[in-house]
Amino acid sequence: MARKEMAGVAPADALAGGRRLAMRWRGLRQSRAGLAFLLCLPLILLVLGLIVYPFFYAIYLATLNKAETAFVGLGNFAFLFRRSTFWMVVRQSILFTLTAVFFKALIGFVCAHLIHNVPPGGQRIWRGLSLVPWVIPPALSTLGWWWLFDPTYSAVNWLLTSFGASAIPWLSDVFWARFSVILVNIWYGAPFFLIMYLAALKSIPEELYDAAKVDGANAWQRLVHITLPMMRNIIAITMLFSTIVTFANFDIVRVLTQGGPRNTTHLFATYAFKLGIQSGDIPLGAAVSLFMFPILAIFAMFILRDVRERTKRL
Amino acid sequence: MALAAAPRDTPTTRWVAFFGQRRWALYASYFFLFLFIVFFLFPPYYMLVTSFKTNAEISSLAGNPWVIQGDITLEHYRNLLLETSFPVYFRNTVVVTVLVVTISMLISILAAYSLSRMRFWGSATLATGIFLTYLVPETLLFIPMFKIVGGLGLLNSYWSLVLVYPTLVVPFCTWILIGYFSSIPRELDEAALIDGCNHFQMLTKIFIPVAKPGIIAAIIFAFTVSWAQFIYPLAFLYSEDQLVLTVGTVTTLIRGDVFAWGGLMAGALMAAAPPVILYAFLMDYYIAGLTAGATKT
Amino acid sequence: MRLFSQARRRFLAGTAATGAIAVAAPFVHTARAGGRVSLGLWDHWVPGANDALRQIAEEWGRQNKVEVVIDFITSIGEKDLITAAAEARAGTGHDIMVHRTWQVAVYENQLEPLDDLVAEIEKNEGAYNDIARYLARPNGTWRAIVAPTGSHSYPVVSRLDLWKEHAGIDLQELFPAGPRDQARIDAEWTYERFLEGARKLHAAGFPFGNPIGQTSDSQDWLGPLFLSFGSQPMSGDGEITIDSDGTRAALEFMKELTQYMPEDVYAWDDAANNRWIISGRGSAIQNPPSAWAVAKRDAPEVAAQLWHHDTPSGPNGRFRGSLPFFWGLWNFSTNKSAAKELLYHLASKEQVAKLLWASQGYDLPLQQDYYDHEVWLKEAPPPGTLYNYPGRGNEQVIVTGFPAPPAVGARIYNEGLLAVLVARVTQGGESIEDAIAWAAEELEGYQRG
Repeated sequence: MARKEMAGVAPADALAGGRRLAMRWRGLRQSRAGLAFLLCLPLILLVLGLIVYPFFYAIYLATLNKAETAFVGLGNFAFLFRRSTFWMVVRQSILFTLTAVFFKALIGFVCAHLIHNVPPGGQRIWRGLSLVPWVIPPALSTLGWWWLFDPTYSAVNWLLTSFGASAIPWLSDVFWARFSVILVNIWYGAPFFLIMYLAALKSIPEELYDAAKVDGANAWQRLVHITLPMMRNIIAITMLFSTIVTFANFDIVRVLTQGGPRNTTHLFATYAFKLGIQSGDIPLGAAVSLFMFPILAIFAMFILRDVRERTKRL
Repeated sequence: MALAAAPRDTPTTRWVAFFGQRRWALYASYFFLFLFIVFFLFPPYYMLVTSFKTNAEISSLAGNPWVIQGDITLEHYRNLLLETSFPVYFRNTVVVTVLVVTISMLISILAAYSLSRMRFWGSATLATGIFLTYLVPETLLFIPMFKIVGGLGLLNSYWSLVLVYPTLVVPFCTWILIGYFSSIPRELDEAALIDGCNHFQMLTKIFIPVAKPGIIAAIIFAFTVSWAQFIYPLAFLYSEDQLVLTVGTVTTLIRGDVFAWGGLMAGALMAAAPPVILYAFLMDYYIAGLTAGATKT
Repeated sequence: MRLFSQARRRFLAGTAATGAIAVAAPFVHTARAGGRVSLGLWDHWVPGANDALRQIAEEWGRQNKVEVVIDFITSIGEKDLITAAAEARAGTGHDIMVHRTWQVAVYENQLEPLDDLVAEIEKNEGAYNDIARYLARPNGTWRAIVAPTGSHSYPVVSRLDLWKEHAGIDLQELFPAGPRDQARIDAEWTYERFLEGARKLHAAGFPFGNPIGQTSDSQDWLGPLFLSFGSQPMSGDGEITIDSDGTRAALEFMKELTQYMPEDVYAWDDAANNRWIISGRGSAIQNPPSAWAVAKRDAPEVAAQLWHHDTPSGPNGRFRGSLPFFWGLWNFSTNKSAAKELLYHLASKEQVAKLLWASQGYDLPLQQDYYDHEVWLKEAPPPGTLYNYPGRGNEQVIVTGFPAPPAVGARIYNEGLLAVLVARVTQGGESIEDAIAWAAEELEGYQRG
């Protein structure tokens, strides 16, 4: 820690005061590492006991045979790699995640700008209203969407047919089913992005924009050269967080399509649930769940390291 | 500052200038915002309307489903509140959520204080790596958790949730708080030390009050996540008196292959009410909290 | 029979206490006074059915000084499967647990053998059918008894008025609530005739609708259909037999039938066909009586026209799908003797009769001896609609996946092999050969140990 000069104090007192301070710092620093560790201990215990240990147990499970009586090493993974359904799940998970995260970020970003530009008094109500999707428990709001898409009773199809269009098979056609699960995920997740980006927008100093305007920059240039760079960290972190969470999505697909039609909307979590709990092959289910971990971990570490580098430079 | 001579540029003055210069841009903003809000709100609107319809109307295909054509009925709400265990689920959810938020905030604040101000071997890795805990999804974790929760005798008790929910909440809250605590100037620390504060006093008298918005942001996140959880309660609870809102509503109102849509919609909306109310009060703090915490990491 | 002598030996060994080897109630004297038995049972959707069961169990508990605790666990979200998985893994939980369809085979090694109990029940209450044997007796040992509640089957549920008017078939006459003309049924109620009726009804705007999707209702009607064309996914020895003329015939049939069904059946879940018939747009589905029961409340004019009856027959016979429930005793239970006593009591004819009334005819025990219970005659309107819900004719009751070894059968059922196979051809446009090749590949995967 940098020690500041104590200006305006008599030299002798300053020296005495400085020495006292130094001694106090030294004393604290010696116990500091220990204290630091102690303060972190609940967190460390929580992570070790309830995340790391179950995680290794799950890895162990993924190396067992179905009856959990013999060790098969990477046999479960080799088995999965030979199944065409598994690769379909991989493709669908990647498609689902990339599409949903991109649009959530885009909508969040656009809406944040729109709300930011509303006169300050009125922002509150728009903010509140746009948060509603994120606030209803997703397991329950997805039921609402399901009812909206129900093949027989769909209110959305009623609207479409009233305007002369034809009813859309929201959940039974492969393309539309994939569209529907992504749509519901976007609907649920965009408010989270919105609120994070809105907060970030508010923290960008106005002076930067004013200076740019003086220099003759138009709105688009201001966006690209000021807003985006200032928000780079928050954009990276929210997209990383959302990618991780969206890959692991379970509720929405399970309630809307149960993975159908023909297993085309399965994600890792729903497919693992089907294999593990419903078919009774828990080791195989664990193997499916673990498949994404190495890829996501590497991806996450790159992003986080990049963010840290940039933070240090600031 | 270079622009000190120019009129003070607050959001209000900015809006006035904007409004004057490009009225159409403002109207366009409102228009698109309105579209997005319609997108966000039409499902809850439909859920609201359905919750007031009679069962017969819900089952009929006649007419416009977006409005109530027959009688408005409070039957679904009444049934949920008076004849099912919905109030019990509500109480359980409140208890679990309040406890989880409290415990998580304790853990997060202490850890964030430590990781933002002090160093020990591995602390930098921990601060960055804490995020990686989200890579292990709960749909995988709940199976090994059976052993842990069962071993502690907590199967079918909502205390199992109090134990397990912090794993979902603490990493993100710690990350927010680290960002926020890091942004508190070190001069405050040194001033406090000169005044003779120890760490505990520094934390409670300086950090927490100054970082209050960040803490509220973390509280809101913790609350929302705990309130809406579905998988862990589904896995660990089965008795009526232990269930929480999300799982309880679904299991009470979907029986076999019979769905009580009116009740489900009513239950969903009532389950969403507490977070909405909480947000209404704390939203300003949330925004302010994320402002500093989020962008400084 | 080896099984029988095993049971006798165990029985004799276990009842040495007072020497009263009363055949009628073999477990009375091994029940401890006091103690606790906890049960995790299926949460019945019929209002009042849970209470009836609880009353019977608690009454028994009072008489025998045993504390009986019952938790009713729903099958929504596979909660019952998850709870069973939790208890099996944690080694702690209820004493008696419900196991749906295939789950007995899944937990074979953790369930207490119940050969003696089953022998007693079969002697006094009537023989279990083949499906019970197939599902609850893996490797020759009974690991569960048939649950008195929850088991049901999938008859055809039709709108009498629509079939009479547009298809020209009087189903009430063909399947009366009384003595029937089986020869006539065999001649007139085949899949070919059904297809013709479906075509006419589709033209009239009231199609037959049944799910071809991811949930269990889809499997429950496709399995019997395939079997009736002579197609089975796997033989009892584990040989993959999906590539057969029977399969091709079934797929050709489905190609035609799906033309006369709603387009979105591929996304239907277990309740969608209920909604379909209740809405008035459907002329027939295959479902247990839950659809009719809800129609009674929400669309009485529709309910008054609903009739439950046999499935059509194919070249290889007439089959009906079912979903049996079993009750098993965990081997980590600490009060096995009292639990077995309670199981025996709940399975006795008197109690089951009460439970059948409470379920309003939904529960269909796996013992033919119960089929003359009056509930299926009395439930109305229309009077006699449930009479043919217990199979009165020559339908063979199966579970989709039969006769494959239960471990594989479980996957055939739970992963929806037949539904996906059909959908690949009828919705995805794949050729029958390609689809069969895919199914064979899947089946190979299911054999993983």
